[in-house]
Amino acid sequence: MSAINPDQTTAARLAGMMRAPEPPRVDDPVTKDGSLVEDPAVRAPLVLGNRTFNDVTETVCGYIEKGPGRWWMPAFGLASSVASITGLMVGYLIITGVGVWGLNNHVDWAWDITNFVFWIGIGHAGTLISAILCLLKQKWRTSINRAAEAMTIFAVVCAGMFPGIHIGRVWMAWMLFPIPNSNAIWPNFSSPLLWDVFAVSTYATVSLLFWYMGMIPDFATLRDRAARRLMRQGDNAPTLPIVGVRVDQLRALIYGALSLGWRFSSRHWHTYEKAYLMLAGISTPLVLSVHSIVSFDFATSVIPGWHTTIFPPYFVAGAIFGGFAMVLLLLIPSRILFPGMKDLITLRHLENMAKIILTTGFMVGFAYAMEFFVAWYGANAYERDVFVYNRLMPPFLAGEDGKYAPYWWAYWTMIACNVLSPQVFWIKSMRQSPLVIFIVAFLVTIGMWFERFVIIVTSLHRAFVPGEWGMFYASWVDILTFVGSCGTFLTLYLLFTRFLPQFAMSEIKNVMPQANPHWEGYGHHGHGHSAGGAAAGGHATHHAPQAPKEGI
Amino acid sequence: MSTIFPKWTNGLPTMLAGGAVVGLSLTVGVVWYSFTNAYWDVGYQPKQPGGGFNHQIHAGKLGMDCRYCHSNVEKSAEANIPTVSTCNGCHADGRLMKLATSPLHKEKTQFIRDAYGKDEAIAWDRIHKLPDYVRNFPHQAHVGAGVSCLSCHGNIARMPVVWQHEPLSMGWCLECHRNPDPHLVDKSKVTRLFDVEDRRELGDLGKLDINAEGRKFYDERKIHAPENCGACHY
Repeated sequence: MSAINPDQTTAARLAGMMRAPEPPRVDDPVTKDGSLVEDPAVRAPLVLGNRTFNDVTETVCGYIEKGPGRWWMPAFGLASSVASITGLMVGYLIITGVGVWGLNNHVDWAWDITNFVFWIGIGHAGTLISAILCLLKQKWRTSINRAAEAMTIFAVVCAGMFPGIHIGRVWMAWMLFPIPNSNAIWPNFSSPLLWDVFAVSTYATVSLLFWYMGMIPDFATLRDRAARRLMRQGDNAPTLPIVGVRVDQLRALIYGALSLGWRFSSRHWHTYEKAYLMLAGISTPLVLSVHSIVSFDFATSVIPGWHTTIFPPYFVAGAIFGGFAMVLLLLIPSRILFPGMKDLITLRHLENMAKIILTTGFMVGFAYAMEFFVAWYGANAYERDVFVYNRLMPPFLAGEDGKYAPYWWAYWTMIACNVLSPQVFWIKSMRQSPLVIFIVAFLVTIGMWFERFVIIVTSLHRAFVPGEWGMFYASWVDILTFVGSCGTFLTLYLLFTRFLPQFAMSEIKNVMPQANPHWEGYGHHGHGHSAGGAAAGGHATHHAPQAPKEGI
Repeated sequence: MSTIFPKWTNGLPTMLAGGAVVGLSLTVGVVWYSFTNAYWDVGYQPKQPGGGFNHQIHAGKLGMDCRYCHSNVEKSAEANIPTVSTCNGCHADGRLMKLATSPLHKEKTQFIRDAYGKDEAIAWDRIHKLPDYVRNFPHQAHVGAGVSCLSCHGNIARMPVVWQHEPLSMGWCLECHRNPDPHLVDKSKVTRLFDVEDRRELGDLGKLDINAEGRKFYDERKIHAPENCGACHY
């Protein structure tokens, strides 16, 4: 810290050892911390609490090393108990046969495929955040991408189970894949059901790679911290209760193996950035392709209500809609339960996601309207009948003939949850209230499940000939399998919060003021730094070296 | 961080790579094995009562038609195993005046007369077995379409004791159903095993005169080998 060697200050700053001086107060009326600032010339800070880089590391690693808190164990116990129901139900199904579900000759796809599409759709928010928002340089993604990617993987796990068990003879599930066999038969390559297998397995693979690769530097941090503690504490290090292994020894081994020899060298970072960008590029089309292909399962058939060209974009918008709702459902409680997380996931993040929910909610609302328009404009009697008398018409509006749609309650639940409930986000105070966002996200999740139920069951339960009409009633196995899959999802997510880094530490540090190479304090030099915020772009003039004002 | 991992772990990547190669080879090997005749029990030749019915003598040397014993092959799905009385029709005491009168032959065929006398069936062991999720192989349909016995059973007339000549796998069935020509012969030649065998050695299967005859017959009868699941599975 001397005028002779000013670069040391820069180095110290970039190493995150320096705290940023108090930023100029750009008040916003709600939070008073500037995270909701409306002035377009001022960037809202993405990390609050004026933290150093070390604070971020301590916070994120602390969730793993100190544990998330007393609430975790009961929550995990509850979630894993619910998850075990999945095992029981799937076991019962395999032993007994698909007859234990409510499926029948008319409705041969119901909750199984509803749940599949529901879960696979939820994953899309993670891919959108990690791929498309990365390519578009949306810096606010950095504190939510890890959790969203994790959620994607877990949603795909839950989704993948359903096509596997709905085939009846589960031990023949390998026949979904084109594997050479002595039966000389292959899957039907012109069937979207096979494309689905490829789409979903590609999606799972790329998402897993993306998620894992992003975590490598964070694993290395956890490894180094564990190793350093071991060296410091020696034989006094705390051990696991029964096995007697030192906890940090175990951490160093496991995170060490997972970090694949990462040493934080600049060459590593260089390769990492390139690989990250490439994976983002590969994942971007997947955001659009996966749910398009899932929609082909329906759209390429000739069933009225399925045979619709609008399905691919409609499904993709719906998937992102439902996915963001799930991200919010997980992150809003996390903000409360994990200490310090409110500084990393600010109200601005929640507001941004609320805006995405509003936008995509409009897209699905438009798609719902278009379906009716095309049914009317296309003048196909069967299609019009499906939309009016299988879905829309409630009994109290039925005409003289008394015809009404038996599943009208499902349709109107979907409309209320997906189209009406996000409309509260037009009001600023609503989309800035975590409680309101949480409630809307919950409604949207319910609505998106009903959307798939409406599409699948109402289209199937009345075929062309009235003799083929019949209702679908879910059996207790149907219901418990779905409940169990929610438990599985939550169990996996809780394990993630306990053992894996919930934030991409390096990326968060990148959007902090200290990481800006031109940052030298908020206007301390009095020439042109007045708008310096968290993610402020550098300015053009190169600074002459001058004495730093902050000590190291 | 040399303190984290012991030195032997340096060999782990090599071991993992080796393991991957072994695992991959095993997987390919197992799938490969499922295509081989060994997996499908080709050559299965159980021990039969009385040393077995000698097809080489009866159908080969003596030139008996298959349908003398397997009398329902053109009418039913099962190519029936003949009753003891069919055997006894020739092998009863006092029959076969000129042929096979040697004491050795008498001794070898005694079990037939014993069974006939006691009114018992002879427990022949079944060789060509299909799984229970496949319907009985409809012999009448195949013989009626001009598929020679030889295509599925090999030249039985050369077998002293019958063995399984073909894999009987689903892939093997479909190979013919997708391209029946090499196996088609004229209806009149279906059971003439040596005829068919000789012709088959003449040139490219499927392009022989014998196949052309079969095809003509096949087309005239408007036969079509089905490939849908329900053709063979209930």
